[in-house]
Amino acid sequence: MKMSNEMKLADAAALGLEQDKKAVKKKGRYGIMRNKFLYLMILPGFIYFVIFKYLPMGGLIISFQDYQPYLGISDSPWVGMKHFVRLFTEPTFFMLLSNTLILFALNIVIFFPLPIILALMLNEVRHRYFKNAIQTIIYIPHFMSWVIIVSITYVFLTVDGGVVNEMLAAIGLPKISFLTSPEWLRTMYMAQIIWKELGWSTIIYLAAITVVDTQLYEAAEMDGAGRWRKTWHVTLPAIRPVIITLLILKIGSTLDLGFEHMYLLLNSLNREVAEIFDTYIYTAGLKNGQLSFSTAVGLFKGLVGLVLIMLANRLAKKFGEDGVY
Amino acid sequence: MHMKTKKRWNLALIASLALATVLSGCGNGSETEANQTYDPNSKLEFTWLNILHTASPPTDVIKNKLEAYTNSKINFSWVPDASKEERITTALASGQLADVVTITMMTNSTVRNSLKSGLFWDVGPYLDSYPNLKKIPQEVRTAASIEGHLYGVPFQKNMARSGLILRKDWLDKLGLEVPKTLDELYNVARAFTEDDPDGNGKNDTTGFGDRSDLRYSSFKTLSSYFGTPNGWAVDENGKFTPEFDTPQYMDTLQYSRKLYENGYLTRDFAVTAKTDQQQQFAQGRTGIYTGMVDIASLENMSQGLQKGMELVPVNKISNGDGKYHVWSEGSGVGGLLAFPKSEVKSEAELKRLLQFVDKLLDQEAFMYMTGGIEGEHYKIDEDGSFKITNQDKWQADVQPFAASRPSEVTYKLKDSNPRKQMANDLIQENDQYAVLDPTVPLDSQTNNEQGTELQKIVTDATFRYIMGELDDTGFKQAVQSWKDAGGTRITEEYESAYKTSQGKS
Repeated sequence: MKMSNEMKLADAAALGLEQDKKAVKKKGRYGIMRNKFLYLMILPGFIYFVIFKYLPMGGLIISFQDYQPYLGISDSPWVGMKHFVRLFTEPTFFMLLSNTLILFALNIVIFFPLPIILALMLNEVRHRYFKNAIQTIIYIPHFMSWVIIVSITYVFLTVDGGVVNEMLAAIGLPKISFLTSPEWLRTMYMAQIIWKELGWSTIIYLAAITVVDTQLYEAAEMDGAGRWRKTWHVTLPAIRPVIITLLILKIGSTLDLGFEHMYLLLNSLNREVAEIFDTYIYTAGLKNGQLSFSTAVGLFKGLVGLVLIMLANRLAKKFGEDGVY
Repeated sequence: MHMKTKKRWNLALIASLALATVLSGCGNGSETEANQTYDPNSKLEFTWLNILHTASPPTDVIKNKLEAYTNSKINFSWVPDASKEERITTALASGQLADVVTITMMTNSTVRNSLKSGLFWDVGPYLDSYPNLKKIPQEVRTAASIEGHLYGVPFQKNMARSGLILRKDWLDKLGLEVPKTLDELYNVARAFTEDDPDGNGKNDTTGFGDRSDLRYSSFKTLSSYFGTPNGWAVDENGKFTPEFDTPQYMDTLQYSRKLYENGYLTRDFAVTAKTDQQQQFAQGRTGIYTGMVDIASLENMSQGLQKGMELVPVNKISNGDGKYHVWSEGSGVGGLLAFPKSEVKSEAELKRLLQFVDKLLDQEAFMYMTGGIEGEHYKIDEDGSFKITNQDKWQADVQPFAASRPSEVTYKLKDSNPRKQMANDLIQENDQYAVLDPTVPLDSQTNNEQGTELQKIVTDATFRYIMGELDDTGFKQAVQSWKDAGGTRITEEYESAYKTSQGKS
């Protein structure tokens, strides 16, 4: 009797469990049904990613082959790690890696904080029309192509007749061959990026600043905080999550240092500091027709980027922020 | 419901019709019967993946003339010269080729590998059955072959087109002769820089204009004046030496470095583009230009800028020993007109296409592609000299075809511009001084794969040496690292390929 009671209890429990499960299932299905239009709206994006981002990854297989276009992926001979071995043993490899990483670091350390500072400064401008005018003016270079930016630089910096060098000569300083000397390449590169992208990069920060609760400022004022204190203790903490998210995204994309930009700056005399993975992939892969080898280089570059983004995300979480995943 | 079904049927009908059209389009001209003869009078319709050397594709004027003359319908697909590397390799990679493909990058590894893999017809055995193709000289055929196979009809160009252009009026003003030796040339560069050749009292001229290109600008030409081998030297034992490992190359380096150090060579040459170099010359800022073929365009550019500008082309500069050398580009082969087997399916189809190419070599077709239509684009003066009468129309209708001529050497035209004619004569004369690159018909797998990357080591070192950032030891080290990184393997591969080719003949 006791036993049967227990059994009954167990049965009941099992039944209850089953009912729970059913409920969950029902609820899950119901959830999808209820939100079917939301899911439908995700669909195009999902399809886009599958078709244009995930399926092409299958092509990475050619980095393990001696890919011959006319033989196709199925018939090209399999060579395993040959192209990776060649990449890692080539004398240019460390040059490529260090150039890429140094420019990456410069981008993060020098360029990344600048838009934040500029956005904070713009936020302090009280005159609305003045602020709008400044914003418009600093956005403009973003819409010029790299070809134009680099050409303008070229006209300014040539040794024969370049404005900058003529000025140097006029005040009695020696002329500097900016365009061909390896020492100036990185300075030039960073200056061009700052010129072109600084204004445009402030947009998101400015947007983030506008949503900061004005009550906080009022409260800070009551406590006797000046402008500087308000910026430091109210504005900055308020936009911190935005900064962290943008930093992680930036780290993910910065390894694409801008092929076009670097390719235009690259010449025989500054190659030792200017050749990066992107330019190397172009010359070795597309121009010289080594599709497998350049795919291997690209895959390696992708891996480096992945490692960097994972590190950044972990770091963000350590500092109590959300990260991007 | 009924409506819907009907609609679907309509759609299917349209689709199948479209498909049928496409299929018939593909099948056009391909005879599949075993009998591989062809009808020479049949109308030929084909596609041609061609390189465009001008800013925009030609109008239909000349195309219509050519079509009428060759009894064909040509569907051009133009690839701009600047993007040919990507476009042709991608076309090869994706298999989206045309019936006729213009291939100019014979050293590109994708191109070479696809040629070698038998993607294209070997036309060698067919050439002799056509009156014009038969006349292609054996040397040209050899130079255009890879491992003994000729995978297309070679473009015949002049053996060596390189030479200098000097400001004759400046020479006269300074009381200098047209230079005949490298020392005299150096002196001209010095005088053009220091002795105020334009007489404006300002120190605003430089002797040598140059650009960021070693091969097609001054350096390679100067190096052949010094007697440097063209690319590679081969001795009687079949031993190969790269040009930059020779004492003559070092001489050229020192010569150029001296020019640069003293300011007789433009300071920015390493970052100068061709158009800028031409502008500098046209504006009277430089007095020596490399590239005789550009003489007419330099004259055009300087119109209204330089009063009394007179130019003189120079091709004979010796190293003091009275012997002349000029490097040859591709041993007179400008590339191939190739026929992919994937598109040209039968021998009969190939023969019909070859007949078309043969017709292009006729004088009438040559004139269409060179000058256009007589009376409309050009005229022939009483003395037989050729003159383009409507430059704008010629540029729009004719110019893009000029580079597609299968031969630039078969017919001679007398140019009504005497300087241009002189440059043409000198290019002709260059034939006897031409220094050939022995590796043109040879194949090295390592060079196909890594040659361009390796070449950068030496190119960079050359620039740095000229600009004084590298000394002799530094340059030797660069050559050594070229060898270590694969150069030695390239040398060995060429040597063994050379041995094989010598054994054959």
